[in-house]
Amino acid sequence: MAEKHKPAPMVDEVSEFEVLEIAVRELAIEKGLFSAEDHRRWTEYMHTLGPLPAARLVAKAWLDPEFKKLAVKDGVKASLDVDIDWIGSMPTNFGTPSDYCNLRVMEDTPKLKHVVVCTLCSCYPRPILGQSPEWYRTPNYRRRIVRWPRQVLSEFGLQLPEDVEIRVVDSNQKSRFIVLPVRPEGTEGWTEDQLAEIVTRDCLIGVAVPKPGQTSNDPRPVHPAKNPYKH
Amino acid sequence: MTDINPKYIELDQEMSDRSLDQSPVSLLEKVKKEGRVWGDLCEQYGVDNPDPPWRITLEATCDVLADGYWSTFNICKPKDERNPEEESKKLDAVERRWEEDQLVSQHYADVPFPESQLMALAHTLIRRGLMSEEELARKMEEVDRRLNSA
Repeated sequence: MAEKHKPAPMVDEVSEFEVLEIAVRELAIEKGLFSAEDHRRWTEYMHTLGPLPAARLVAKAWLDPEFKKLAVKDGVKASLDVDIDWIGSMPTNFGTPSDYCNLRVMEDTPKLKHVVVCTLCSCYPRPILGQSPEWYRTPNYRRRIVRWPRQVLSEFGLQLPEDVEIRVVDSNQKSRFIVLPVRPEGTEGWTEDQLAEIVTRDCLIGVAVPKPGQTSNDPRPVHPAKNPYKH
Repeated sequence: MTDINPKYIELDQEMSDRSLDQSPVSLLEKVKKEGRVWGDLCEQYGVDNPDPPWRITLEATCDVLADGYWSTFNICKPKDERNPEEESKKLDAVERRWEEDQLVSQHYADVPFPESQLMALAHTLIRRGLMSEEELARKMEEVDRRLNSA
Protein backbone atom coordinates (compact mmCIF):
# COMPACT_ATOMS: atom_id res chain seq x y z
CA MET A 1 0.00 0.00 0.00
CA ALA A 2 1.39 3.35 -1.02
CA GLU A 3 0.38 5.06 2.21
CA LYS A 4 2.34 2.44 4.17
CA HIS A 5 5.51 3.00 2.17
CA LYS A 6 8.01 4.91 4.26
CA PRO A 7 10.90 6.35 2.28
CA ALA A 8 14.38 5.68 3.59
CA PRO A 9 15.92 8.69 5.30
CA MET A 10 18.20 10.78 3.11
CA VAL A 11 20.52 13.71 3.54
CA ASP A 12 18.55 16.64 2.17
CA GLU A 13 21.40 19.09 2.11
CA VAL A 14 24.37 19.83 -0.15
CA SER A 15 27.54 20.15 1.89
CA GLU A 16 30.56 22.28 1.02
CA PHE A 17 32.55 19.07 0.70
CA GLU A 18 30.16 17.68 -1.90
CA VAL A 19 30.40 20.93 -3.83
CA LEU A 20 34.21 20.78 -3.62
CA GLU A 21 34.32 17.20 -4.91
CA ILE A 22 32.20 18.05 -7.93
CA ALA A 23 34.09 21.28 -8.57
CA VAL A 24 37.50 19.56 -8.50
CA ARG A 25 36.28 16.88 -10.89
CA GLU A 26 34.59 19.23 -13.35
CA LEU A 27 37.47 21.69 -13.36
CA ALA A 28 39.96 18.86 -13.96
CA ILE A 29 37.88 17.75 -16.95
CA GLU A 30 37.66 21.32 -18.28
CA LYS A 31 41.42 21.67 -18.00
CA GLY A 32 42.00 18.42 -19.84
CA LEU A 33 43.58 16.51 -16.95
CA PHE A 34 41.32 13.60 -17.84
CA SER A 35 38.19 13.08 -19.90
CA ALA A 36 34.63 12.81 -18.63
CA GLU A 37 34.39 9.46 -20.41
CA ASP A 38 37.46 8.06 -18.64
CA HIS A 39 36.06 9.17 -15.32
CA ARG A 40 32.63 7.71 -16.00
CA ARG A 41 34.08 4.33 -16.99
CA TRP A 42 36.34 4.22 -13.96
CA THR A 43 33.52 5.20 -11.57
CA GLU A 44 31.19 2.54 -12.99
CA TYR A 45 33.89 -0.08 -12.54
CA MET A 46 34.61 1.00 -8.97
CA HIS A 47 30.94 0.69 -8.07
CA THR A 48 31.11 -3.02 -8.95
CA LEU A 49 33.84 -3.78 -6.40
CA GLY A 50 33.56 -5.24 -2.91
CA PRO A 51 35.06 -7.91 -0.63
CA LEU A 52 32.75 -10.80 -1.55
CA PRO A 53 34.84 -12.27 -4.42
CA ALA A 54 37.89 -12.58 -2.16
CA ALA A 55 35.75 -14.22 0.54
CA ARG A 56 34.43 -16.68 -2.05
CA LEU A 57 37.96 -17.44 -3.21
CA VAL A 58 38.95 -18.36 0.34
CA ALA A 59 35.82 -20.47 0.87
CA LYS A 60 36.47 -22.34 -2.37
CA ALA A 61 40.08 -22.95 -1.36
CA TRP A 62 38.94 -24.37 1.99
CA LEU A 63 36.62 -26.80 0.21
CA ASP A 64 38.81 -27.78 -2.73
CA PRO A 65 42.50 -28.63 -2.13
CA GLU A 66 43.28 -28.42 -5.85
CA PHE A 67 41.78 -24.94 -6.05
CA LYS A 68 43.79 -23.94 -3.00
CA LYS A 69 46.98 -25.01 -4.79
CA LEU A 70 45.99 -22.92 -7.81
CA ALA A 71 45.12 -19.89 -5.64
CA VAL A 72 48.49 -19.95 -3.89
CA LYS A 73 50.36 -20.52 -7.15
CA ASP A 74 48.47 -18.09 -9.40
CA GLY A 75 46.05 -15.72 -7.69
CA VAL A 76 45.10 -13.93 -10.90
CA LYS A 77 44.09 -17.19 -12.56
CA ALA A 78 42.23 -18.41 -9.47
CA SER A 79 40.33 -15.10 -9.36
CA LEU A 80 38.63 -16.02 -12.63
CA ASP A 81 36.71 -18.71 -10.68
CA VAL A 82 35.12 -15.96 -8.58
CA ASP A 83 34.42 -13.83 -11.65
CA ILE A 84 37.28 -11.39 -11.20
CA ASP A 85 39.35 -10.85 -14.30
CA TRP A 86 42.30 -8.71 -13.21
CA ILE A 87 43.19 -7.88 -16.78
CA GLY A 88 40.22 -8.19 -19.10
CA SER A 89 37.52 -6.63 -16.93
CA MET A 90 39.46 -3.55 -15.91
CA PRO A 91 38.41 -0.39 -17.76
CA THR A 92 41.81 -0.43 -19.43
CA ASN A 93 41.60 -4.02 -20.68
CA PHE A 94 45.25 -4.47 -19.79
CA GLY A 95 45.28 -4.15 -16.04
CA THR A 96 45.17 -0.97 -14.04
CA PRO A 97 46.88 2.38 -14.46
CA SER A 98 49.44 1.38 -11.89
CA ASP A 99 50.08 -1.91 -13.66
CA TYR A 100 49.24 -4.19 -10.79
CA CYS A 101 48.17 -7.47 -12.27
CA ASN A 102 49.75 -9.80 -9.76
CA LEU A 103 47.56 -11.06 -6.93
CA ARG A 104 49.35 -13.21 -4.41
CA VAL A 105 47.32 -15.34 -2.02
CA MET A 106 49.24 -15.81 1.24
CA GLU A 107 48.33 -19.06 2.94
CA ASP A 108 48.26 -19.07 6.73
CA THR A 109 49.05 -22.19 8.74
CA PRO A 110 48.55 -22.85 12.45
CA LYS A 111 52.11 -21.61 12.99
CA LEU A 112 52.27 -18.80 10.39
CA LYS A 113 50.06 -15.70 10.17
CA HIS A 114 50.21 -13.22 7.30
CA VAL A 115 49.11 -9.60 7.45
CA VAL A 116 49.01 -7.12 4.58
CA VAL A 117 50.17 -3.51 4.49
CA CYS A 118 51.28 -0.92 1.99
CA THR A 119 54.11 1.01 3.58
CA LEU A 120 54.47 3.36 0.60
CA CYS A 121 50.90 4.58 0.34
CA SER A 122 47.75 2.45 0.54
CA CYS A 123 47.93 -0.07 -2.33
CA TYR A 124 45.12 -2.57 -1.89
CA PRO A 125 43.70 -5.42 -4.03
CA ARG A 126 40.64 -3.40 -4.98
CA PRO A 127 39.49 -5.58 -7.91
CA ILE A 128 38.83 -8.46 -5.51
CA LEU A 129 38.44 -6.69 -2.14
CA GLY A 130 36.82 -3.31 -2.85
CA GLN A 131 37.81 -0.04 -1.17
CA SER A 132 40.38 -0.02 1.60
CA PRO A 133 39.25 0.89 5.12
CA GLU A 134 40.35 4.17 6.63
CA TRP A 135 42.72 2.63 9.19
CA TYR A 136 44.60 0.77 6.43
CA ARG A 137 45.48 4.13 4.86
CA THR A 138 46.87 5.72 8.02
CA PRO A 139 50.61 6.27 8.52
CA ASN A 140 50.16 4.93 12.04
CA TYR A 141 49.11 1.45 10.83
CA ARG A 142 51.53 1.44 7.92
CA ARG A 143 54.55 2.20 10.05
CA ARG A 144 53.79 0.26 13.19
CA ILE A 145 52.57 -3.01 11.63
CA VAL A 146 56.00 -3.63 10.09
CA ARG A 147 57.83 -2.74 13.29
CA TRP A 148 55.64 -4.27 15.96
CA PRO A 149 53.22 -6.60 14.17
CA ARG A 150 52.33 -8.68 17.21
CA GLN A 151 51.46 -5.62 19.26
CA VAL A 152 49.43 -4.02 16.47
CA LEU A 153 47.50 -7.23 15.83
CA SER A 154 46.68 -7.43 19.53
CA GLU A 155 45.23 -3.91 19.26
CA PHE A 156 42.92 -5.34 16.58
CA GLY A 157 41.88 -7.96 19.10
CA LEU A 158 44.01 -10.71 17.59
CA GLN A 159 46.19 -12.26 20.28
CA LEU A 160 48.63 -14.72 18.74
CA PRO A 161 50.72 -17.21 20.71
CA GLU A 162 54.47 -16.52 20.73
CA ASP A 163 55.15 -19.64 18.66
CA VAL A 164 53.11 -18.30 15.73
CA GLU A 165 55.34 -16.50 13.25
CA ILE A 166 53.89 -13.27 11.84
CA ARG A 167 54.81 -12.36 8.30
CA VAL A 168 53.98 -8.85 7.09
CA VAL A 169 53.66 -8.56 3.32
CA ASP A 170 54.16 -5.15 1.76
CA SER A 171 52.11 -4.26 -1.30
CA ASN A 172 53.63 -2.44 -4.23
CA GLN A 173 52.80 -1.32 -7.73
CA LYS A 174 53.23 -4.78 -9.17
CA SER A 175 51.76 -6.96 -6.44
CA ARG A 176 48.67 -7.06 -4.32
CA PHE A 177 48.00 -9.53 -1.51
CA ILE A 178 45.15 -11.22 0.29
CA VAL A 179 45.40 -13.66 3.18
CA LEU A 180 44.06 -17.21 3.00
CA PRO A 181 43.35 -17.84 6.69
CA VAL A 182 43.16 -21.20 8.42
CA ARG A 183 39.65 -22.64 8.25
CA PRO A 184 38.23 -22.42 11.75
CA GLU A 185 36.90 -25.30 13.77
CA GLY A 186 33.15 -25.61 13.94
CA THR A 187 32.64 -25.14 10.19
CA GLU A 188 32.62 -28.82 9.22
CA GLY A 189 29.99 -29.56 6.59
CA TRP A 190 29.41 -25.90 5.76
CA THR A 191 28.62 -24.81 2.22
CA GLU A 192 30.73 -22.35 0.24
CA ASP A 193 28.18 -19.59 0.89
CA GLN A 194 28.21 -20.25 4.64
CA LEU A 195 32.00 -20.21 4.73
CA ALA A 196 32.26 -17.05 2.61
CA GLU A 197 30.06 -15.21 5.12
CA ILE A 198 32.65 -15.50 7.88
CA VAL A 199 35.59 -14.43 5.70
CA THR A 200 35.40 -10.72 6.42
CA ARG A 201 37.47 -7.95 4.89
CA ASP A 202 39.64 -7.84 8.02
CA CYS A 203 40.34 -11.59 7.76
CA LEU A 204 41.47 -11.04 4.17
CA ILE A 205 43.85 -8.24 5.22
CA GLY A 206 45.05 -10.46 8.05
CA VAL A 207 44.15 -8.40 11.13
CA ALA A 208 41.41 -10.84 12.13
CA VAL A 209 40.75 -14.56 11.81
CA PRO A 210 37.45 -16.14 10.75
CA LYS A 211 35.11 -17.31 13.47
CA PRO A 212 31.73 -19.00 13.20
CA GLY A 213 29.09 -16.38 13.91
CA GLN A 214 31.30 -13.39 13.06
CA THR A 215 30.18 -12.03 9.69
CA SER A 216 31.15 -8.37 9.93
CA ASN A 217 34.20 -6.31 10.75
CA ASP A 218 34.60 -4.93 14.24
CA PRO A 219 34.74 -1.14 14.57
CA ARG A 220 38.36 -0.04 14.29
CA PRO A 221 39.83 3.05 15.94
CA VAL A 222 42.02 5.32 13.85
CA HIS A 223 45.15 6.70 15.51
CA PRO A 224 47.25 9.66 14.41
CA ALA A 225 50.93 9.05 13.73
CA LYS A 226 53.21 10.29 16.51
CA ASN A 227 55.78 11.67 14.08
CA PRO A 228 53.54 12.92 11.30
CA TYR A 229 55.68 12.48 8.21
CA LYS A 230 59.41 12.89 8.80
CA HIS A 231 60.53 9.85 10.67
CA MET B 1 59.68 -11.65 9.33
CA THR B 2 58.78 -8.62 7.26
CA ASP B 3 58.94 -8.35 3.49
CA ILE B 4 59.24 -4.58 3.15
CA ASN B 5 59.19 -2.99 -0.25
CA PRO B 6 62.88 -2.17 -0.88
CA LYS B 7 61.89 1.12 -2.48
CA TYR B 8 60.46 2.30 0.83
CA ILE B 9 63.60 3.80 2.38
CA GLU B 10 64.62 5.48 -0.85
CA LEU B 11 61.19 6.99 -1.42
CA ASP B 12 60.85 7.92 2.23
CA GLN B 13 63.94 10.11 1.95
CA GLU B 14 63.03 11.50 -1.44
CA MET B 15 59.49 12.45 -0.45
CA SER B 16 60.56 13.84 2.92
CA ASP B 17 63.05 16.11 1.16
CA ARG B 18 60.54 17.45 -1.34
CA SER B 19 59.76 21.11 -1.09
CA LEU B 20 56.00 20.92 -1.41
CA ASP B 21 54.48 24.26 -0.54
CA GLN B 22 52.82 23.49 2.78
CA SER B 23 51.13 26.84 3.26
CA PRO B 24 47.37 26.84 3.86
CA VAL B 25 44.93 27.51 1.03
CA SER B 26 42.33 30.13 2.03
CA LEU B 27 39.54 28.55 0.01
CA LEU B 28 40.11 25.18 1.65
CA GLU B 29 40.41 26.73 5.09
CA LYS B 30 36.94 28.18 4.51
CA VAL B 31 35.57 24.76 3.48
CA LYS B 32 37.17 23.23 6.55
CA LYS B 33 35.59 25.84 8.79
CA GLU B 34 32.12 25.99 7.24
CA GLY B 35 31.67 22.58 5.61
CA ARG B 36 29.48 19.97 7.25
CA VAL B 37 31.07 16.53 7.30
CA TRP B 38 29.21 13.39 6.30
CA GLY B 39 29.05 12.00 9.83
CA ASP B 40 27.21 15.10 11.10
CA LEU B 41 24.78 15.05 8.19
CA CYS B 42 24.06 11.36 8.78
CA GLU B 43 23.29 12.03 12.41
CA GLN B 44 20.96 14.91 11.62
CA TYR B 45 19.07 13.11 8.85
CA GLY B 46 19.08 9.61 10.37
CA VAL B 47 21.17 8.07 7.58
CA ASP B 48 23.50 5.15 8.34
CA ASN B 49 25.53 4.89 5.12
CA PRO B 50 29.15 5.11 6.36
CA ASP B 51 30.41 6.81 3.20
CA PRO B 52 29.28 10.02 1.53
CA PRO B 53 27.78 9.53 -1.94
CA TRP B 54 30.82 11.14 -3.54
CA ARG B 55 33.45 8.78 -2.11
CA ILE B 56 33.66 6.56 -5.21
CA THR B 57 33.76 9.50 -7.61
CA LEU B 58 36.59 11.00 -5.54
CA GLU B 59 38.50 7.70 -5.74
CA ALA B 60 37.89 7.61 -9.47
CA THR B 61 39.21 11.17 -9.81
CA CYS B 62 42.41 10.13 -8.03
CA ASP B 63 42.76 7.12 -10.32
CA VAL B 64 42.22 8.92 -13.59
CA LEU B 65 44.53 11.74 -12.49
CA ALA B 66 47.22 9.11 -11.93
CA ASP B 67 46.92 8.00 -15.50
CA GLY B 68 43.91 9.72 -16.93
CA TYR B 69 45.17 9.37 -20.42
CA TRP B 70 45.72 5.62 -20.36
CA SER B 71 42.95 4.91 -22.80
CA THR B 72 44.51 6.83 -25.63
CA PHE B 73 48.02 7.76 -24.69
CA ASN B 74 50.93 6.68 -22.67
CA ILE B 75 50.55 3.67 -20.51
CA CYS B 76 51.36 1.09 -23.17
CA LYS B 77 54.38 3.00 -24.35
CA PRO B 78 57.94 3.00 -23.05
CA LYS B 79 58.61 6.09 -20.90
CA ASP B 80 60.79 7.81 -23.49
CA GLU B 81 58.05 7.56 -26.10
CA ARG B 82 55.35 9.09 -23.95
CA ASN B 83 53.70 12.37 -24.83
CA PRO B 84 55.46 14.95 -22.60
CA GLU B 85 52.48 17.31 -22.67
CA GLU B 86 50.16 14.61 -21.36
CA GLU B 87 52.81 13.31 -18.95
CA SER B 88 52.94 16.74 -17.28
CA LYS B 89 49.27 16.41 -16.36
CA LYS B 90 49.90 13.23 -14.44
CA LEU B 91 49.55 13.15 -10.67
CA ASP B 92 51.44 10.06 -9.63
CA ALA B 93 49.49 7.96 -7.13
CA VAL B 94 52.37 7.45 -4.70
CA GLU B 95 53.31 11.13 -4.72
CA ARG B 96 49.68 12.13 -4.19
CA ARG B 97 49.36 9.77 -1.23
CA TRP B 98 52.56 11.04 0.39
CA GLU B 99 51.40 14.60 -0.03
CA GLU B 100 48.03 13.59 1.40
CA ASP B 101 49.77 12.22 4.50
CA GLN B 102 51.72 15.45 4.92
CA LEU B 103 48.84 17.81 4.24
CA VAL B 104 46.38 15.94 6.43
CA SER B 105 48.79 15.92 9.36
CA GLN B 106 49.52 19.62 8.92
CA HIS B 107 46.18 21.12 7.93
CA TYR B 108 43.37 18.59 8.01
CA ALA B 109 44.04 16.42 11.04
CA ASP B 110 40.65 17.33 12.48
CA VAL B 111 38.79 16.62 9.25
CA PRO B 112 37.40 13.06 9.06
CA PHE B 113 38.03 10.67 6.17
CA PRO B 114 37.19 10.83 3.24
CA GLU B 115 36.70 14.60 3.55
CA SER B 116 40.40 14.82 4.46
CA GLN B 117 41.36 12.92 1.29
CA LEU B 118 39.33 15.40 -0.77
CA MET B 119 40.89 18.43 0.93
CA ALA B 120 44.40 17.06 0.41
CA LEU B 121 43.71 16.33 -3.26
CA ALA B 122 42.43 19.87 -3.89
CA HIS B 123 45.41 21.28 -1.98
CA THR B 124 47.87 19.22 -4.02
CA LEU B 125 46.26 20.20 -7.34
CA ILE B 126 46.47 23.89 -6.45
CA ARG B 127 50.04 23.78 -5.12
CA ARG B 128 51.21 21.85 -8.17
CA GLY B 129 49.63 24.44 -10.44
CA LEU B 130 47.24 22.01 -12.08
CA MET B 131 44.40 24.38 -11.13
CA SER B 132 44.35 27.73 -9.36
CA GLU B 133 42.58 28.64 -6.16
CA GLU B 134 40.60 31.31 -8.03
CA GLU B 135 39.48 28.87 -10.70
CA LEU B 136 38.39 26.38 -8.10
CA ALA B 137 36.52 29.04 -6.12
CA ARG B 138 34.63 30.11 -9.27
CA LYS B 139 33.78 26.50 -10.10
CA MET B 140 32.53 25.88 -6.56
CA GLU B 141 30.23 28.90 -6.80
CA GLU B 142 28.89 27.59 -10.10
CA VAL B 143 28.32 24.09 -8.72
CA ASP B 144 26.73 25.43 -5.56
CA ARG B 145 24.27 27.57 -7.56
CA ARG B 146 23.41 24.60 -9.75
CA LEU B 147 22.89 22.13 -6.92
CA ASN B 148 20.86 24.51 -4.82
CA SER B 149 18.71 25.90 -7.65
CA ALA B 150 15.73 23.58 -7.18
